Amino acid sequence: MKLMKSLSQEKAETLRVLAGRIVPETADLDAAGMGRFFGLIDEALLERPPSVRRQFGIYLGLLRWAPLARFGSPFEKLSVERQDAVLRWFESCPVGLLRAGFWGLKVLIFMGYYGPSETNAVVGYAPERDGRAGLHAGA
Amino acid sequence: MRRSATAGRVSMQEREYDIVIIGSGAGGGAAAKELAPLCADGVKIAVLEMGAKLKEEEYTGREVEMSRRLYIDSGGTLTKDRAMTLAYGRAYGGSTVVYTGTSLTMPEEVVERWNVPGLEYEDLHRRSVKYLEENNVHLLPEDELNDNNRLFLKGCTKLGYHVEQFPINTKGCLSSSLCNLGCPNQAKQGTHRVQLPQAEAEGVEVITNCRVTRIEDRVCETVVTDPGFGEPSPWAPGEYRVKAKVVVVCAGGAVNSAALLLRSGFGERLPNLGRYITLHPALILVGEHDRPITNFYGHPKSYYCDEFWKSDAFLLETCMYFPFVTAKNLIGFGAEHSELMRAFPRLQMILVLALDPAIADNRVTVDSAGEPVVDYTLTEGVLDTLHASMLASTRVFFAAGAKRVHAPAATNFFIDAADAGRIDELIPRSNVLPGKISITSAHLMGGCRMGRDPGDSVTDGWGRVHGTPWLYVADSSLFPQCSEINPYVTVMGLADRVAEGIRTNAGELLA
Repeated sequence: MKLMKSLSQEKAETLRVLAGRIVPETADLDAAGMGRFFGLIDEALLERPPSVRRQFGIYLGLLRWAPLARFGSPFEKLSVERQDAVLRWFESCPVGLLRAGFWGLKVLIFMGYYGPSETNAVVGYAPERDGRAGLHAGA
Repeated sequence: MRRSATAGRVSMQEREYDIVIIGSGAGGGAAAKELAPLCADGVKIAVLEMGAKLKEEEYTGREVEMSRRLYIDSGGTLTKDRAMTLAYGRAYGGSTVVYTGTSLTMPEEVVERWNVPGLEYEDLHRRSVKYLEENNVHLLPEDELNDNNRLFLKGCTKLGYHVEQFPINTKGCLSSSLCNLGCPNQAKQGTHRVQLPQAEAEGVEVITNCRVTRIEDRVCETVVTDPGFGEPSPWAPGEYRVKAKVVVVCAGGAVNSAALLLRSGFGERLPNLGRYITLHPALILVGEHDRPITNFYGHPKSYYCDEFWKSDAFLLETCMYFPFVTAKNLIGFGAEHSELMRAFPRLQMILVLALDPAIADNRVTVDSAGEPVVDYTLTEGVLDTLHASMLASTRVFFAAGAKRVHAPAATNFFIDAADAGRIDELIPRSNVLPGKISITSAHLMGGCRMGRDPGDSVTDGWGRVHGTPWLYVADSSLFPQCSEINPYVTVMGLADRVAEGIRTNAGELLA
C-alpha cells in the first residue's frame, strides 16, 4: 500500500529510514503509529505548494544518494555510525539551503512522531484543560 | 493598476458597506469596536476575516490540530531564505487567539525612536492603558506561578539581572498552559472574547472564512471558503465583490496587509510598501533540572528580563511549549535528542527575543501567484545578539539550579553544570548558523510603516495611506521599527487612533 500521497513510495521509504536515525523510537511504532506518522507528514506536505513538495523529494534523494560518492553506498546501506555522520554533515553544511533543508526534514519527522497526542505519555506530557490541580500538586 | 483577474465574472456576488475592515486581530478587532457606535447612525460596517470562528468544543489543545486550525501554514511559514519560520494567527480574533496574553505598553523612548510625525507617547500610552483595562490585564498572584517561571526569577535574581512580571489579560484562567493553541477555557481576553462580540452587538458584521484577494477603488475582491471546521461563514462559499462606500481599513497583520496592498498595485507609487519588516527573531533554550518541575500547568509566560535591552538588544522571557514545538527547537537528533524530550517534565524553558533593526531590504513581496513572500535576512548584528542571548540564558539556567543546558549553538548537545564556568568557550559565535539553529518569529512588524510622506513611509501617523484618503492600515505593519516589547497592546492603541481619525472625519466621509 502506498504510504503517502505527497511522495513516491521510494521517497517515503527513504523518509522512514531517515526517521529511524532522527527519532530512533519511530522504528518501534506499530502499524497505527506509523500510519499517524506518515499521515501527519503527508497532510503537511499536501498543504504546501507543489514546488515545495518537489524540493523536499529532491532533498530526500540527495540524502539517499550523496553518500554514494563518499562511502560507495546509498544512505540505507550505511552503518548507523556513517548514517549519523552524513546527517551531521548536512545539519552543519556550509551551504545554507542544505542546512535549512535538513532542518525542514527534522521538523517533519518531529511533527510525525511528537505531534500526535498518543506520544504525550512517552515524554511525560499530560495536558489538562483545568491544570490547577497539577499546578499545586507539589505545593 | 493591474486589472482584476476576476473582474466581470457573472458568478461574483456583490455586497456593500460603508466601512470594511480586513482582519479581526488586535488591530481589526479594536478598530471594529471603536467604529461600532457609528452603526447606531445607520453606518454599515463589515469585518472580513480569513480564518474561522471556532466552536468552543473545537479548542481541543491538541498541538498539530490546533496549529492547523489557528495558524497560517500551521505556524511554520518560511522566510524566503528558509532560515526562519513565522507564526501568525488566522481566526476570528486573529493572533490574539494564540498569543499568551502578555500585555505591555511601549516605552517612551521607543516611541521617540519611531519618530513618527504626530504620534506622541502620551497619546499612544493613554490609548494602550484603555485596552489594558478593557482586557482585564493584571498580575497573576504568586501562588498561580509555576516552577518554570519561579526558576527564571530565581536565576535572574541570583545573577543580579533585572526581571519584571508580565501583566496578562486573562479572566478565569484554569492554568491549562495551552494559550498558544487557543485557550480551551475562554480565559484569554483577545479580540475574539472582548472587542468583536461588543462590535457585533452594536451591529458590525463579521464575515469569517473570507479572504480578500485584492482591493481596487474601494472594492474588495474576496473568496469565501469552507475549511471544514468552525462556525459556518455568514456568507456561502464563493466569490464576492465587497464595496466600501467610505473607507477600507487593512488590519490583516504585517505580512498580509503589505501583501494585499502589493497585489492591489499600490507598490507602484509607494516605494516603501512591504519594506522595513522586523521580526523579533526568537530562540528557545532548555535547561534540565534533576527533579520534575511544574512547567506545563500554569500560565506559561510570567516573567521577562530586560537587563540586556539597552546594552545588547535582547529580552529574555519565560515560555513553555508543547512536545512537537519543543522538539523542533532543539538542535541535533537521535538518542540525545530523544533523551532530552523524555525529560519533558523536568525542563525549564527560556525564549529569547532579538530586537532587530528596521532595514529596507527586509521586506514582504508577493510571488507570481500573489502569495506573500517574506524576504528577511538575519544581519550579523542580530546573530551576535542571538549569541549573546544564549550565553545569558545559559547562565540563568545554571543560576536557577539546572543540572545541564541545551543551547542551540553549543559545541555539545548538553552543557553540564560542572562546565558552567566555560560557557563562553562552549557556545562559540561561529556556531550561530542560520538554517541550522531554529529561529522563529511571532512578532511580525512593519511593511506599511508610518511616517511623513511616500519617500519614507506608507501611511501617515494616523494610519492613512499616503495619497489614498479612503484607505487605512491598523495593525503591526504600521510599526516603523520593532516595538522592543510584545506588541499587541501597541497595535490596539494604534488601531484606536486610526478609528478615531475615521470617526473624526466621519461626517465628511459619510456625507
